[in-house]
Amino acid sequence: MTDVIPLLNTLPISIAPADVEFFDPPMCCPTGLCGPVLDQTLLDVNEMVMSLQRDNLRVERYQMASSPNAFLGNAEVMKLVREKQMDALPIIVVRGKVIKVGAYPTADEVKAALS
Amino acid sequence: MTQFIFFSGKGGVGKTSMACTHAVRYADEGKRTLIVTTDPASNLADVFEQKIGHHVTPIAGVPNLSAMEIDPDRATQEYIDRAMSPLRAAFPAQMVQVMEEQMSGPCTAEVAAFDRFTDFIVRGESAPEFDVIIFDTAPTGHTIRLLELPAEWSQSIDAASAGSGQTCIGPAAAIQDAKHKYENALAALRDESLSTFTFVLHPEAIAIRETKRAISELTKLGIHTYRIIINGIIPASEKSNPLFAARSEMQARYLKQISAELPYPTQRMTLLSGEITGAARLRGVGKIFFDGEQAPAESESSGGKIISVETSSIDEIRARIQPNSHRRTVFFAGKGGVGKTVASCLTAVWLAQQGRKTLLLTTDPAAHLGDVLGQPVGDDVTAVSGQPNLWAVKIDPKAAAETYKARILNDARQRGRPESAIKVMEEELDSPCTEEMAAFDQFIDYASQTDWDAVVFDTAPTGHTMRLLELPLDWSQQIDVKVFASVDATAADDVAKQRFGQVIEMMRDPAQSTFAFVMYPESTPILEAWRAAQELATVGIQPGLVVVNFVIPPEAATTPFAQARRKMQVRYLAEIRERFAVPVLEIPLQPQEVKGLEMLAELGNRAYGEQVKA
Repeated sequence: MTDVIPLLNTLPISIAPADVEFFDPPMCCPTGLCGPVLDQTLLDVNEMVMSLQRDNLRVERYQMASSPNAFLGNAEVMKLVREKQMDALPIIVVRGKVIKVGAYPTADEVKAALS
Repeated sequence: MTQFIFFSGKGGVGKTSMACTHAVRYADEGKRTLIVTTDPASNLADVFEQKIGHHVTPIAGVPNLSAMEIDPDRATQEYIDRAMSPLRAAFPAQMVQVMEEQMSGPCTAEVAAFDRFTDFIVRGESAPEFDVIIFDTAPTGHTIRLLELPAEWSQSIDAASAGSGQTCIGPAAAIQDAKHKYENALAALRDESLSTFTFVLHPEAIAIRETKRAISELTKLGIHTYRIIINGIIPASEKSNPLFAARSEMQARYLKQISAELPYPTQRMTLLSGEITGAARLRGVGKIFFDGEQAPAESESSGGKIISVETSSIDEIRARIQPNSHRRTVFFAGKGGVGKTVASCLTAVWLAQQGRKTLLLTTDPAAHLGDVLGQPVGDDVTAVSGQPNLWAVKIDPKAAAETYKARILNDARQRGRPESAIKVMEEELDSPCTEEMAAFDQFIDYASQTDWDAVVFDTAPTGHTMRLLELPLDWSQQIDVKVFASVDATAADDVAKQRFGQVIEMMRDPAQSTFAFVMYPESTPILEAWRAAQELATVGIQPGLVVVNFVIPPEAATTPFAQARRKMQVRYLAEIRERFAVPVLEIPLQPQEVKGLEMLAELGNRAYGEQVKA
């Protein structure tokens, strides 16, 4: 195989980090709908993301397989991943600061970190 | 002649033989020729009598000719390797493993096979490596879905880049990269100067209907160049044999219908008394097909005595399909066109006549269960009119996907999810894997219903069946991965896991399930069924019955041609007994197509005996 799928060339285009970054665990798709069972937690997260976006905040969601560079580009995230491996995910970063490790935050937790 | 030639049609009609005959002819004319199969149950290697495999392989004895079998599993692995290689160094081993497992889902398999397929369809290259590329494609239903992928895909790629930037098949960037390739492939398929679609069919009602259906699907996709090859025409010399004479008359009616209803360039190919394997034989067939040479009279194989062959007792055979203390689920497996539908219909009708409450079910996307039953079969369980105790249903992947989508979206609405979220979900659900998943979800629903005495599955063609049956295992793996994702979902996942586990257990238990392999007594179908059986054995499922269709009864072998074919069949019947140590049910070749409840009941009684109420 000569042609390598250029995952590592897909750096996030923006210079400044997003307001809220989700480093998600491996999933079929952002809403968790590709699995045979609908995951309500992931739907809640999806709604939270949309609500944050409506408030004109920049939100990014990353998965290891699709956005490995986002992981690699954040030293603190990679440190957590190396230490706790899968248990570290999800990791939520608000304005560059890790606010939650191993579970999704509530909308209030995110808002508190933003204010 | 175009650069890309696709051979399509129901399996078992001589599609591969005709594709190979063309390939050998073009190569002999000095054209650099490649023949590619995308069929998961490929038999190119059998026809050329040499190993081929997952890479371009020169064919011995035919200069200018190469062949390749696209193995979907292998394609998936290559695709995963390409995507994963840069990540192995950066991430901890456990996470790499999870990512890899995640990429081994059914979605990736679809993508990967298609990805490989499009590698060969490149337009506008300055100096193409091959003058002609012949695709011996998968059977109709599967082919259509494969070809439909680009259109659906372009949409799902557009939606992905506009929306979340992710799709269920992993890296959006990788797909974005391939988008150009897929569009290019589709454009090549639509280009009349580049691509021809050749349909191979037997002069039979079902084949004609299927071909019309396939062409109308392809036409909707913007494909317009078609050619027809009518194969298996009984030679005029067989007028003296009543069985073949009757079949020949039937063929004449259908030949007329074909010229009226399929107005495309059409060629005919006569039924040969032996099989087509090896380059020399393929060249001989080319002379008959292209140059109009007379098919050789019976060769040295004719004449001589027909050896007798052992037969299984009716009791032995019946024990494999009758419910005992459990419900009985009978799966008919085999290449399309070998008579799976007929076998499943006559079995279901017989069971119903014995007073067993029976469900007859098909998962074949190009379902022709209704054609054989003589009445339409829908997406809901419906009583078969004229046969008490019998119900029938079809799992149409498209319809199943719609139902599945509606169910999930309804559930989300009831939980008070906002419309904006529903819209995102709708987008996600438009992925190609939803169909596959939804079809399997329904299959489990029916397989879990307990109020039937017997469930008879007219399964999809072998390769497709395999992938469908292997899905529960893939899913179990996916669920293991998903448990990481959220604690809340663990309970729900456990329920799902248990559901799949029960179905797999049921399939493995010979007291509850019978896998009946349907074939006709020729080398390729036997080998294919054998491989399918071996693959099933790896998931702990053993064959329970073999059904051999189109057997020429000894009393009908009255002409040299019929004798030669009967002799060939007897040889293969013996081989079947050797390979499969299970009871063998022989269904005699009929003077006309099997159709309607009356004929099915008669054949059922002949196969399993009359009135044997428990």
